[in-house]
This record gives sequence, structure tokens and C-alpha cells, in this order.
Amino acid sequence: MNRWLQRSQIWLHIPMMLVAVLFIAPLLWMISTSLKAPDDIISGLGTMQWIPKPITTENFRNVLGKIEEFPIWRWTFNSVFVSLAVTFLVLTVDALAAFAYSRLRWAGRDRIFGMLVATMLVPGQVLLIPLYLLIRKLGIFDTYAALILPASASAFGVFLLRQFFLTIPMELEEAARLDGCGPLGILRHVILPLSKPALATLGIFTFMGTWNAFEGPLLFTDSAAMRTLPVGITIFQGRYNIEYGPMMAAAALAAIPVTIAFLLFQRHIIKGISLTGLAGR
Amino acid sequence: MRITPVGATISPSRRGDGAVGLLFALPHLILFGTFLLAPVIYGIYISLHRWHILAKEHPLIGLANYSAALTDDIFWVALRNTVYFVVLVVPLGNLVSLLLALGLASLRRGATFYKIVYYLPVIISIAVVAVLWRWIYNTEIGLLNLYLGSVVNWLRSIGLPLRPFEPLPWLANPSWVMPSIALLTIWWTAGANMVLYLAGLGNIPDDYYEAAAIDGASPWQRFWAVTWPLLRPTTLFCLVFSVLGAFQVFGQSYVLFTAVSGGSQSGPARSGLTLALYMYLQGFRQYEIGYGTAIAYLLFAIVLILTVIQFRLLERRDASSKV
Repeated sequence: MNRWLQRSQIWLHIPMMLVAVLFIAPLLWMISTSLKAPDDIISGLGTMQWIPKPITTENFRNVLGKIEEFPIWRWTFNSVFVSLAVTFLVLTVDALAAFAYSRLRWAGRDRIFGMLVATMLVPGQVLLIPLYLLIRKLGIFDTYAALILPASASAFGVFLLRQFFLTIPMELEEAARLDGCGPLGILRHVILPLSKPALATLGIFTFMGTWNAFEGPLLFTDSAAMRTLPVGITIFQGRYNIEYGPMMAAAALAAIPVTIAFLLFQRHIIKGISLTGLAGR
Repeated sequence: MRITPVGATISPSRRGDGAVGLLFALPHLILFGTFLLAPVIYGIYISLHRWHILAKEHPLIGLANYSAALTDDIFWVALRNTVYFVVLVVPLGNLVSLLLALGLASLRRGATFYKIVYYLPVIISIAVVAVLWRWIYNTEIGLLNLYLGSVVNWLRSIGLPLRPFEPLPWLANPSWVMPSIALLTIWWTAGANMVLYLAGLGNIPDDYYEAAAIDGASPWQRFWAVTWPLLRPTTLFCLVFSVLGAFQVFGQSYVLFTAVSGGSQSGPARSGLTLALYMYLQGFRQYEIGYGTAIAYLLFAIVLILTVIQFRLLERRDASSKV
């Protein structure tokens, strides 16, 4: 009995399971509320009931039915499109730059790289007002460019990929060079194929970070058609102040795609953070 | 932070690549220069002017925005709230993350399941998180008060001399607001640092623990003699970035209070007003962007000073531990 207790680690599992329940409960409550009838939510009938009875899709229909006022499909499209565009742009531009900072020799390289690293400590909030003015001046306010370009400017990806590229043995590159490869060929045929884990990590984090981004889309757009899901949710909340059913349905719609993506890629994501020391935001 | 990893292979012997290098770096440099470096510098310029967004003229006023902030009572309210939030979230949040990581590291089976569950909140947008917690914190029919109420009732029913449960005013009472925001933030972010602590724990060689066990050290002693000192780089990294992140707290207060009212609210008696929210309210509700930017730079200065102090403290400890 005693040995079984030790081997099964049951005394460790009990508190960890309790914490796991506490961590997952708010999300389950969100789903549960979103499937309840409005009366059940407000009157308190359904209040401590985790499995709604009856299950209704009324809240979701409510949310999706007011397309004119809350274009949630458009917001979803915007979130998907912007996240994909930023991810693609960051991976392309940062891989080229990281190659330049790790494998090519040119005047001013290390000084410029030092400046990139130094800016990584600048809080995002410092940029918001100047960026807003700049975006207005460039005439890209309330466009996809305003959602995509500022989100792709960070030095973080360059730093991350450079660190990874530096661990690739120079001999491989020399061999490719003897075969007549130019810098672009070396990047494409030697460096990138060997850097898949780093590229995957950067790609996943860029995608999730952009999907969840809040301040930028809030300030750099203002028409309902250009909002992304997180900002859309708050517009929704401003209107459905105390109607928790539709609100939880909208919140669930915003949270579910990224949750599925996480569950699919969780192995890479968690390993990626430990590899890179990336805290997720 | 180390910029060049061990075993780095920058060969000094190779000939220069000349303009090709700059060409490869250029696309990123254009983006970076336009949307990061330029705004940082432009921001300093803006903060030195009296700049109303609609006004045609914005006269140079030197450091007047900064001195105005330092004599602005509301700025100090925002600063006090923000510091209170940081003091609540950083130590408690890191303690939770470390405990979760220690639990995971000692598990022989099932660690992946727990890891996924603890990490799940991290991937969700603050907008969703705050909307959801506003519902959970509802005084009358929120999940938290319902469960606390039934726990209290149950304890009374088995004879404990407790007073009847009064619903807790999570977001309604000024002195509850920051602790409530801190609680939801710890739920939201604990998984991120947990993974970092877990990686740090994985880097501690097993030999150390075996040696300590042979010396007859209890698990408690092993933690203080082996784990804690060897985990210090990870702890510092997590603390620095937690402080950096916590000082920028914005979305929580914005979604819980400002967006709900559609106006310029920041919680009962401004109890949810943070520095970042104050910058937003000044810049985008009052249109005083000169003043708003000055607030943002004061935030930057505070964060920078704290980061330098934290790094200094680590260096000194490292130096003393080597002697």
C-alpha cells in the first residue's frame, strides 16, 4: 500500500489535478454559458449548472445574426488574414535579416544589430501614439497595412533566428559555396532547411501574438469592417453589457480557433518556449 | 543576455560580402526603422510639445508635459495602482509558476496533460479573458461568488460559526479592483513563466540532487541548496520580463471598465486606472497626445530603471557567489 502510494505519486496528482480544474473551469464556464438560454443565465436557474439544460444555440445565432452591426465573420476573416500576413512577412524578412547578421560580413553590421537588440526593451505602449500619428500621415489608417506593417517591425524574430543560424556549422556553408551557391542559395538550401524548429517556433508565436493583439488594432482602425476579433469582442461587450449569453458566445468564437491551433501544435509551442526563452508575448 | 551563443561560428577569415549583407538586412531595416525606431524618436519630439490632436499648432514647451504629469494627482493615482498591481502580480505569479513547474518536474507520468491545461489560458486574447472574468466576477450571479457562497453555507451547515455569506464586490469596490485584476492576470499568465521555470529545472544536472541525497539532505534542503541557487538565471529572466509586462497592464482595465461604458471610465473611484490606460485616456479621449506620450515615456523610464537595478542585483550576487 505504502509503496503503491509512492509509486503512483497520488499525493502529487491530487493538488495538481485541483489546480488543473481551477485553470480550466473559467473556460468551460464560458462554453457552458454560451449554450444556455438567456433566462437560465439571468434568473439564476442555470447558474451553477455546468451542463446546460436545454442546450441552445440561440446565443450563437444571436451573435451571428446581427452581421450588419457586428460583422463577426468579417472580424474573423480580418484576424486570420492579418495573422497569416504578419507571420509570412516576419518569417521572410527576419530570415533574410538574421542571415545577414549571422553569416554575411558588411560594414556596420554589429553596430546595427546592437541597436536592434537595445530596442527590445522598449515597452509597446511608448510606440502607440507616435505610431498612430505616423499611420495617419502615411494615409494607411484603418487599412490592412496599419494592422500588418507595425506588427511586423519587431527585432525579436531577427534576434531569435540569428541565434539559431549561428549554431549551424560553417563547413556546410563552405561546401555549398564550393558548389557555386551564392548567399541566397546558401540561405535557401543550407540554412533554412536546418532551421525548421526555430522557424516553426517564430511562426507559431507570431501567429498567436497577432491573433490576440489588442492595442494596435484598437487604435489603428476605426471602422467596424476593419476590426479584428479581440477588438470586436469589446465592441460587442459595450452593447451587450449584461447579456452574458451572447457575450460568452462571441468570446468562445474568438477563443476556439486559437485553442484548436494550440492543441494541434502544443508540443512545438511548449518546446519552442523552452528553447528560446520566449514568454509568449 | 548573451548575444553570441557558445560555439558560434562567425568566421573572421572570410572576405567581406560588401553591400550584399546590407541588402539582405534591408527589408527588415525598413520596417524596423519606419514602425519602431522612428516612432520611438518621434515620441520624444511629441512629448516636448503641447499637442492637441485637432489643433493646427503645437508649440514646443520643453519638459512641461513631464513636470505637469509629476504634479498631476491622477497621474499619481495611476502610478500607485500600477505599482500595486506589479507588487501583487510579479511575486505571486512567479511563485505560482515556480510551484507548478516543480510539480511538473517531479511527476513521472501525466506531465504533458497538466502542462497543456496550465498553459491554455496564455494563448487566449486579453479581450476574451477580461470579458470572461467580468462574468465570473459578477457580484450577484458570478461563478466565483456562487461557489464561495455555497462553500460558506456548507461550512455553516456542519456547524462552523461563520457569518452568512455576503457576495464579494470583486469589481464594484475600489479596494477590490486591483486584487481582482491581479488574480485574473495570474490565471492568464502563470503558464508562460511555468514553462520557462520548467526548462530551467531541466538544466540542473541530476548528479547534484544525487550528491545531496547521499549527504542525507531532505527535499526541503535539496531545494534551497541545489534548485534555488542553480535556478537563479531563470528566476531573474522571469522576474525582469514579468515586471516589464506587468507595468504595461492595459487590456484588463480597458475591457473591464473603459470599453463597457464606451467612455472614459477606469473603474470605481479610478481604482482600475493604470499608467498605460491613463496614457490612452489622455491621448485618445482627451486628444492631448503630447501629454499622453509624456506619460508613456515616464512609464518607459521607470521600467528601464527597474530593469537595470534587477540586472545589477544579479551581477553582484553572481560575483559574491563565486568568491
